[in-house]
Amino acid sequence: MWLDDGGTVLSSALRLTAPLAFAACGEYLAERAGTLNISVEGMMLSGAFGAIAVGSATGSPSVGLFAGALIGLVVALVHANLSHRIQINTFVVGLVINTLVLGVTSFLTQIMEFSRTQVAVLRIPGLADIPMLGVVFDQRWPFYLLVGVVPLTWYLVNRTRWGLELRAVGENPQAADVSGIKVNLRRRQALMWCGLLSGLGGAYLSVGLVGSFNNNMTAGRGFIVIAAVIFGAWRLKGTMLACFLFGAADALRLALPSLGVELNAQLLVAAPYLLALTVMVLMAKSQREPRALAKPFERGLV
Amino acid sequence: MSHDRARTDGPVPALELRGISKRYGPVVACDAVDLTVQRGEVHGLLGENGAGKSTLMKVLMGLVQADAGDVHRDGVAVDVRTPQQAAEHGLGMVHQHFSLIEPLTVWENVALGEPGRIDRDAICADVEAVGARYGLTIEPTATVERLSAGERQRVELIKALRRDPKVLVLDEPTSVLTIAESAALFEVLRTSVAAEGRGVILISHKLAEITAATDVVSVLRRGRLAFHCRTADTSAPELARQMVGRDVSLRAEGAALGLVVTDDPAKHLTPVLQGGLDAVPAEPPAPEAPADVPGTAALALHGLCVAGPDGRILLDSLDLEVATGEIVALYGVEGNGQATLGDLLSGLMAPDTGEVRVDGRAVSLDRPGALHEAGVGVIPEDRHRSGVVLDLSVADNLVMTDLRRFSGRFLMRRAQIRAQAEELVERFAIRTPSVDAPLRTLSGGNQQRVVLARELSANPTVLVAAQPTHGLDVGAIEDMYARLREAAAAGVAVLLISTELEEVMALASRIAVISSGRITGVLDVADASPQRLGMLVGGEAA
Repeated sequence: MWLDDGGTVLSSALRLTAPLAFAACGEYLAERAGTLNISVEGMMLSGAFGAIAVGSATGSPSVGLFAGALIGLVVALVHANLSHRIQINTFVVGLVINTLVLGVTSFLTQIMEFSRTQVAVLRIPGLADIPMLGVVFDQRWPFYLLVGVVPLTWYLVNRTRWGLELRAVGENPQAADVSGIKVNLRRRQALMWCGLLSGLGGAYLSVGLVGSFNNNMTAGRGFIVIAAVIFGAWRLKGTMLACFLFGAADALRLALPSLGVELNAQLLVAAPYLLALTVMVLMAKSQREPRALAKPFERGLV
Repeated sequence: MSHDRARTDGPVPALELRGISKRYGPVVACDAVDLTVQRGEVHGLLGENGAGKSTLMKVLMGLVQADAGDVHRDGVAVDVRTPQQAAEHGLGMVHQHFSLIEPLTVWENVALGEPGRIDRDAICADVEAVGARYGLTIEPTATVERLSAGERQRVELIKALRRDPKVLVLDEPTSVLTIAESAALFEVLRTSVAAEGRGVILISHKLAEITAATDVVSVLRRGRLAFHCRTADTSAPELARQMVGRDVSLRAEGAALGLVVTDDPAKHLTPVLQGGLDAVPAEPPAPEAPADVPGTAALALHGLCVAGPDGRILLDSLDLEVATGEIVALYGVEGNGQATLGDLLSGLMAPDTGEVRVDGRAVSLDRPGALHEAGVGVIPEDRHRSGVVLDLSVADNLVMTDLRRFSGRFLMRRAQIRAQAEELVERFAIRTPSVDAPLRTLSGGNQQRVVLARELSANPTVLVAAQPTHGLDVGAIEDMYARLREAAAAGVAVLLISTELEEVMALASRIAVISSGRITGVLDVADASPQRLGMLVGGEAA
């Protein structure tokens, strides 16, 4: 009996982890390049909306999914050019984008009509029959994109020259500049990756998880993603672990009533942030944060 | 225009800079500078701060675009607009402030800035091979932040040498190194030059290095090429004079201030320099005080040692005394510990060892505000960073360090602040539309007067003035000089930290020269010649 319950909660945890994991891959890469990107919330929300809008219009949720990712990319393009080309404070840009996307998507959902659209479940025969753990192999198909996206992100950051330059730019932009690296170009490119994956994460939330869009459906998941990167100490493994932890907390919150356990739901909603805060306090001296995180770079005389 | 100068009178130089000019706004950093580096030659580039050395090299490395002039490599005109292009043309540089990314490993740093795929194993093998060839052993997988200053220098060198540059520029390479490390570095340079025919430009202000390690030397002064010679044909004193000696522009101001300009400059200065420094007042501006009698010094620094976070020695058992009513100048090339001493005397940091005594009493430097209470006033080096708040009013800035005097338990006493501000504005002739005007609207000279007025209004025993005339125009400089003399005459012990020779000669009665965080010598102004100062600045006993 508990195997079934466990399987249900695990399955739900995985489903809730996936949107976080996609976006966290992007945010991780952007932060390693020195952008503390708070518009990840807006990128996810616009991706979620775009996926449903396009999915409903074309009748294909898969097309919608990719459209959602592209819309996230467009938001990133705006953010990148505002903060890493004409040097507007990245937090101001992020706040404006988050608020704007929330307003625009709310407005559009009011004046437009969307049909339900949801991507198909891909059940991997055999593996899906394993007790409890089988739920891993019984998910909506975009879930399996994570198998490619996570290692690819790691590879890009830690093995390619592009990734080396991103890390250099995130740690010491002046030295990177002297070495001949185009600092702001690299930061813009990193944000593009973040936008693409955050859009995908948002799209997974709408056309994957729910099948429809509702107002402010990301509900702060973007900020959970930022918390996950901090929790993971700017390492991908830790970040993914944090995403799963936060996803599981979310799943538990939904499952507890049916399991007959009384626990304050609001407390569980706050749990990821409390965890992230605790970790930040514990890691305050660890110096694993990219040293030029959130510090703009302008080529000067020095 | 590629082969426009087919040379008949010698080999084609590895590098030729022709007529390089660069200005930043009204400031001319480089003025039609020519420089030629032959293969297999170490070319010393000597000059004070702001002489244009760094700008010239930034132009060469594609970090800054020149306004005029061109660069020729092996006789061919080349276009260097980015660091990548510089690398393609075989130009490499070891920067003064390391261009290493600390959290990355050695091999990652070495690979940074190159195009193409990364092959970790190949780069690591390369690092070891280059290291072995030049005797620069380093572990390629070590993280840079764990390395000492000397080891980091090795990484920089390997990074530059791995790309097989035809011309290698070293900008003040020994400023962070110990003597042994410096010797090892020059060994590497010799090998690299003699065996492989590279051209090397060695930028330095240390005369010993230049005379020992270079074949040819050029001296830059105020953006112009002032002197060029084979190193064997010159001497350290000659180079010192070429580096420091120059026309003194303050003669007129000195006269305007009613100072007695000496009729016989030779009384003070070596004959060669008669044209140069005749603005030195015949009489020291302040009464001489017996500075060498212990206990009478208003400000006494004893054995101050400070090590930087990277282990570099910033101050090396520094001793200095300033007596009441005396102006003592601390002179030296920028980056030899002046900024550290300034921070220390502003209470921004505590020394590792040593003590500061004001009027014979030791001041506990760990406690913020202790120096201010002990009677030390400071005109900080960068007034915008630590001297004033530009967007607050003149009045607020004038009382900022002494707010307790001008506030009750909770509220500030606006009327009292205004009265004080108006009195100071009057007394120090600060030109401002009103005491409520934001400080930003004032000229640099008047901003500096605000700082001076505030510091002097607290009736300090000691006034530390760090580069007090930096960025001011001639009139404001003249005024600052008069006020500093006035303060000294009123019995304040003034410590002037300056890199400007004229300023030091015009104001101080004694000159202490700082080099690599040590006082290399203290001269009475009457005994100070540019040559002797130049030797001391270059780290040699004069």
